[in-house]
Amino acid sequence: MTAATTAPTSIAAQAVHATKVYGSGDTAVRALDDLSAEFGTGQYSAIMGPSGSGKSTLMHCMAGLDTLTDGQVFIGGTDLSELSEKELTQLRREKVGFVFQAFNLVPTLDAQENITLPMDLGGSAYDDGWVDTVIDTVGLRDRLEHRPAELSGGQQQRVAVARAMASRPEIIFADEPTGNLDSKTGHEILDFMRSAVDDFGQTIVMVTHDPMAASYSDRVVFLADGRIVDEMLEPTAERVLDKMKQLGE
Amino acid sequence: MFRTTFKNLRARKRRLLTTALAVTIGVAFMAGTLVIADTISRTFDDLFADATEGIDAAVRGSQSIDVDFGPEARNPVPETLVAQIAELDGAAAVEGQVSGYAQFLDKDDEPVGNPGTGAPTLGFNWNEVPELNPFELTDGGPPSGAGEVVIDRGTARDGGFAVGDTIAVLTQAGRGDFTVTGIVTFGGQDRPAGATTALFETTTAQDLVGEPGTFQEIAVVAGEGVSEEDLVTQIQAIAPAGVEVLTGEQYTEDSQNQVQEGLSFFNTFLLVFAGIALFVGSFIIYNTFNILVAQRTGELGLLRALGASRRQVFGSVILEATIVGVIAGVIGLVLGIGLASLLKLAMAGLGIELPGGAPVVTVRTAITALATGMVITVLAALVPARRAGAVPPLVALRQRSVEDRALPRRRTIAGGVVTAIGLASLGYGLWGEPGNAIQFVGLGALVTFIGVALLAPVLASPFVKGVGGLIAKLRGTPAALAEKNALRNPRRTSATASALMIGVGLVGFITIFAASTKASIDKTIDDAFTGDLVVASGTFGFGGLPPEVADEIAALPEIDLVSGMRFGPARVDGEDTGVVAVNTDQMARLADIGISEGSADDFGVSSFGIHEDVAEEKGWELGTPVTIEFVDTGAQTFTVDVIYSENALAGPWFIDTAAFEANYAQQFDAQIYASLTEGASLAKARESVEEIVDPYPAAEVQDQEEYTEATAGQIDQLLGLVYLLLVFAVIIAVIGISNTLALSIYERTHELGLLRAVGMTRQQMRSSIRWESVMIALFGTILGLTVGLVFGWAVVSALADEGFSVFQAPVSQLVVIALLAALAGVIASLRPARRAAKLDMLEAIMTE
Ligand SMILES: Nc1ncnc2c1ncn2[C@@H]1O[C@H](COP(=O)(O)OP(=O)(O)OP(=O)(O)O)[C@@H](O)[C@H]1O
Ligand SMILES: [Mg+2]
Repeated sequence: MTAATTAPTSIAAQAVHATKVYGSGDTAVRALDDLSAEFGTGQYSAIMGPSGSGKSTLMHCMAGLDTLTDGQVFIGGTDLSELSEKELTQLRREKVGFVFQAFNLVPTLDAQENITLPMDLGGSAYDDGWVDTVIDTVGLRDRLEHRPAELSGGQQQRVAVARAMASRPEIIFADEPTGNLDSKTGHEILDFMRSAVDDFGQTIVMVTHDPMAASYSDRVVFLADGRIVDEMLEPTAERVLDKMKQLGE
Repeated sequence: MFRTTFKNLRARKRRLLTTALAVTIGVAFMAGTLVIADTISRTFDDLFADATEGIDAAVRGSQSIDVDFGPEARNPVPETLVAQIAELDGAAAVEGQVSGYAQFLDKDDEPVGNPGTGAPTLGFNWNEVPELNPFELTDGGPPSGAGEVVIDRGTARDGGFAVGDTIAVLTQAGRGDFTVTGIVTFGGQDRPAGATTALFETTTAQDLVGEPGTFQEIAVVAGEGVSEEDLVTQIQAIAPAGVEVLTGEQYTEDSQNQVQEGLSFFNTFLLVFAGIALFVGSFIIYNTFNILVAQRTGELGLLRALGASRRQVFGSVILEATIVGVIAGVIGLVLGIGLASLLKLAMAGLGIELPGGAPVVTVRTAITALATGMVITVLAALVPARRAGAVPPLVALRQRSVEDRALPRRRTIAGGVVTAIGLASLGYGLWGEPGNAIQFVGLGALVTFIGVALLAPVLASPFVKGVGGLIAKLRGTPAALAEKNALRNPRRTSATASALMIGVGLVGFITIFAASTKASIDKTIDDAFTGDLVVASGTFGFGGLPPEVADEIAALPEIDLVSGMRFGPARVDGEDTGVVAVNTDQMARLADIGISEGSADDFGVSSFGIHEDVAEEKGWELGTPVTIEFVDTGAQTFTVDVIYSENALAGPWFIDTAAFEANYAQQFDAQIYASLTEGASLAKARESVEEIVDPYPAAEVQDQEEYTEATAGQIDQLLGLVYLLLVFAVIIAVIGISNTLALSIYERTHELGLLRAVGMTRQQMRSSIRWESVMIALFGTILGLTVGLVFGWAVVSALADEGFSVFQAPVSQLVVIALLAALAGVIASLRPARRAAKLDMLEAIMTE
């Protein structure tokens, strides 16, 4: 951990000289290009950048969904490149939460089952009190027995966030979690994620294209061509928008 | 439109093959049956054509009785006719023919090529006229005296016999030792069709395998310039009554036809299984196309939106089915040819060596295979194709849904009605006391089967919830997911399970039927046979123990009552069948056959005993005269003197041994029954009897228990074959489950990726899919077993009057079947599970 740290406390996740190359030869694409970044515990970070800049790739590699071509990723001090496929799965189950843009839920399971799915898969006993707290926080109490098909898009995303939080992971990655929602529903989700950070000290890294969404975060990291090109603390929508213009997005 | 069809097909080559595979097995079976039938008949045709080439006219008895088992029986012709024919102008050479039972014993005194396993053991006279002798000497020379024999090269090879060795032969005259003077082949074959051949000098042959003073046939060679027809006319002029004369050509054709007839049962049997395989396969085709259509709903809707007509969409699915069908037909045909060779090998393993020669693939076989594959596939795809045509254009714009939980009420009602009709027919057959109970029961069973198949989707949900829920509770989240997935589309689950249901239903039914048959045989024999010892000849309707054996046993001081049992072909009241002969006065005390009218005491040479069912059916009563025709003695009049109620031992009717001796040239006991003198020791009596039958290695001495077991045990042999063939139906069912799972997994790609992302291990993924497969398999199995159980019970009950007194459901065997089916589920899941576990997680998540 050589890179200088801007984080106030400890580091929840870290990418060190992360490089990801898709394909080979002439058609090779450098989705991540020697990228180093840190995400502090209890911090709400946003990642922004033009389409194709490597945001999703970074999230996938950090969450253990994909592997780097070169460099390292640490989750709470664990080097992911040293984990076996089985250990990676366990890590995803216990240490990481993930929220996709859409279709986050297993259609055959109801909301409650979807929320506890990672823990059920782990087979270990879990903290009912915490799960109750999460459910109440996302306001899903009266929808627990509904299946995804019976939930609105916003409700589905709330279930997805609740699932990500339920196992008290070290970090939650959310890839455009509000991308498919109208702005009102989107704000509900963003509010909820904000309170997860404030009230429960959850660490969140979120990809977004929306300056308004980015303004909910503590810090915005700007990506272009697989590298970090800029960073902004305590962002507001206008400042982010300005920065985006400046970066030519 | 067609271009899209082909694109679809090309893009899904793998799936296309697996779909085709479901029909392929059935087609292969059918093609294999046809190929082997053609191959066998072609080779036999050639063989007979060769063997009878030198014969220009054949003389034989005109009385024939054609029974279901064995060759047709004919009356013999007098020996004196040979000399008379020889004097005719048109005859260049003439020779009498003798054939019958001759069993070689190898150097360990074990029977060579036991007829009990299928192939006959034959004895003939050696023909001096080269044109008439179909055998080729490969070593040594012809037999010239009473103690000499020529043997087939197969026996020489297997038994290690060479010219000059001594070989023991069992014939109607008992056991004898002979010097091997020569070794022959027939049409180049060591042992054609597995039959062993003993060739004796003519007079010896008449004594040992024929009847002194007679021949079975007389073969004649025409003189220079004499046509076959002229020769026949000349012979007919001097032939006595009871003799017919055939041209060489007619004779060859007749021999060939007899072989065909003998094969027809075998062919029918195999074709029935081809039918079952195709029936099961059609379920899978139906299912696969349904899923394919469901998966392509969006795409089909788009096509419709872009202007494709209903007919075009329908047509494109039918075209796809046709192509699958043709592929199935072609692969099936090729596999069938391989299967035929395999079958030939299997038969060779059983000792039935078929003459060599390439498999005969006729145009008929090729067309039948292709047409069957195509027609079955297209028929099965008809409903899915209609569904595809009915996809409204708007669907393309909507999000398609994997879930299809709604069950059509119409189908439920139809299923209920059909099941009710089936059960009603079943019930009427059982309790309504119609004359032909078994027909109502059989029809009812079939209809119930279809009804249950229609109802299966309704039953699928409660079953999966029950059994699946239980498994889920015990096995955790992957199993719980499996349960939910199996419940997703009950129609698909049940259609998948149906294929297995049919296979397991048949296996279950046959198992129950066989167990009940065995239990019934056990009981009837226990009830009926009151004697102590049985000598089984070990030959089935062909040869047996010479009468002296029974006489010697009767002479033992430890033995009280003795009766042999003989079988012979006869035409009873105009029907070609067989009769049983026993020593009536002794047998009536050895066994309780339940004589209800008449008495066994004064049962004479022209007395006839009949079962009460026969009495009822024919309207015969005591004193009714019945005409029985025998090949040796012609029509004879018998009188019904006994009517009895137990047919376990005697069958439908019997005559006395004295009558048998009066009407048959050959005398063999197939079975000898005996009882002990009072106070005699069973062990000691058995020892003495064993000593007497020692020269007959095929024969076996059994006490009552062993006899019962051996009789019931014959069922097992048949059962083995049936099971083997049903395995194919189960294999097809497994392919079906595997296919459906693979398609379902394809549908669920995104979901599977998601599961992996949130922490499902590969192992858990595999186990989830395995459990889903097992639940489907168990559903099919339980349904099949239930249906099989009900049918088994119904059929056995309906046959109660025919001697099926005991219904038995062999629990342990049925449990084994259920476990095997679960195992089949596991096997079916292997490939889909592996594929699911190997899915690229990110790619899967990105799949919409
Ligand atoms: N599986 C893949 N194979 C090849 N190239 C890939 C693959 N996934 C991503 N890429 C490429 O890597 C680069 C980064 O992609 P990534 O999905 O990370 O971008 P992104 O910043 O998330 O874009 P967006 O805002 O559109 O979601 C792109 O050029 C993309 O084309
Ligand atoms: Mg992205």
